[in-house]
Amino acid sequence: MTEPVNTEELLAILMSREVRDWETSACGAVSMIPAAAMLLAEATHAPQAEIIILGSEQLSRDLGKDIHFLSQRGGLDLFFHSAVQFDAEGNFNLHVIGDANAPDMRLPGGYGSGLMSYTAGRILFFRTEHTKRTFVEKVDFISGAGKTPASIRRPQEPFLIFTPMAVLEFNRGTGAYSIRSVHEGFTAEQVQDNTGFSLGSLENIPTTPPPTEEEVRVLRTEVRDRMVETGTYPEWAQTVLQPA
Amino acid sequence: MGVPYIPVRGLAGTDVFRRRDDMIMATNPFDSDEQHVVALAQNPDVAILHGLRADRDGNALLRKHGEDVMIAQASRRVIVTAEEIVDRVTADDEGGQFISAINVTAVVHAPNGAHPTAVPGLYDRDDAHIREYIEASQSDEAFRAYLEKYVIGKTEDEYQAMVRGGALVAGDGGGD
Repeated sequence: MTEPVNTEELLAILMSREVRDWETSACGAVSMIPAAAMLLAEATHAPQAEIIILGSEQLSRDLGKDIHFLSQRGGLDLFFHSAVQFDAEGNFNLHVIGDANAPDMRLPGGYGSGLMSYTAGRILFFRTEHTKRTFVEKVDFISGAGKTPASIRRPQEPFLIFTPMAVLEFNRGTGAYSIRSVHEGFTAEQVQDNTGFSLGSLENIPTTPPPTEEEVRVLRTEVRDRMVETGTYPEWAQTVLQPA
Repeated sequence: MGVPYIPVRGLAGTDVFRRRDDMIMATNPFDSDEQHVVALAQNPDVAILHGLRADRDGNALLRKHGEDVMIAQASRRVIVTAEEIVDRVTADDEGGQFISAINVTAVVHAPNGAHPTAVPGLYDRDDAHIREYIEASQSDEAFRAYLEKYVIGKTEDEYQAMVRGGALVAGDGGGD
């Protein structure tokens, strides 16, 4: 049994396992957890991964619109994406809560999300809570559509959504969700109970391999130090990446 | 740029697309199996861009990052406000993005002209003023009061005196 980790550390560790050598992975601005995930991958199993952290002083590669063009031409293998709501159709919302004409809350999703989520090879969504206010029947605003006609080119793998309870998968071909794995301490039924739409079969769902001692150690030492040294959300790294 | 529209991969099926009448779905003219969004060109009547320095012909060095040059290329008229007016700005100058005089309609000497935002290397963002602006933007009444305090009937010198607390800052170079 390894030391307990907080939600941010858990998501960073689980998502780091999706980052691969010789691929280009990126996250947008204000993306602390993905930044930690990519640096952890680079420090462990994927030393040859090309990583782009737009919110970092030193690791952003000075990209502006270039990253959108890179993604449009199929050169971005993996992109991290947050959202406040996901719905039964595989749509996500990173724009507004409430009526779009008089929103209760405005979010910063207007810029790249409608392009990156259609063009990057693999999309890793993440959310620090798994509740029915996040997983809803219908999103308040569609920032990115889950399903599109075959005439829209989207050479992408199924969407993955990482939460504190499970990893969900949305298959754009069948339009159906499934639970890819459930984290230790939770059951598939609990995951379904906290989701506002069907997740398909709850039988024989594997358990997510828990964070290893090595992953936790590297995240709290090498990755933390590197985030501080490179101006990559240094305050966040110092307060979040440590034992409770 | 002068093009009538531009194709975009993405946005299909989103509310961003649904809410705009300047984007449509189109068939790729080179591949009838593919559909994509086409966005109508945005051609501002006037673009006002702040730069580090400019010359009297209109050659200018704009901020290092961002899409200012593209905005200028799409606009019918372009006014460059500059920290400094110098004899000659060329494409070899370092520290910013060069924009040729053929894109520029007018040049204005405007030291501290980016206020309340920053010009890296010259002055920082004025956070207190930005907070004041955000608070003022919460109601029409408050915003009207903001405009009356800083803008309506005020000259540039009066504005600068208020926001600088009356003191001149470095970088007030160039003669005009």
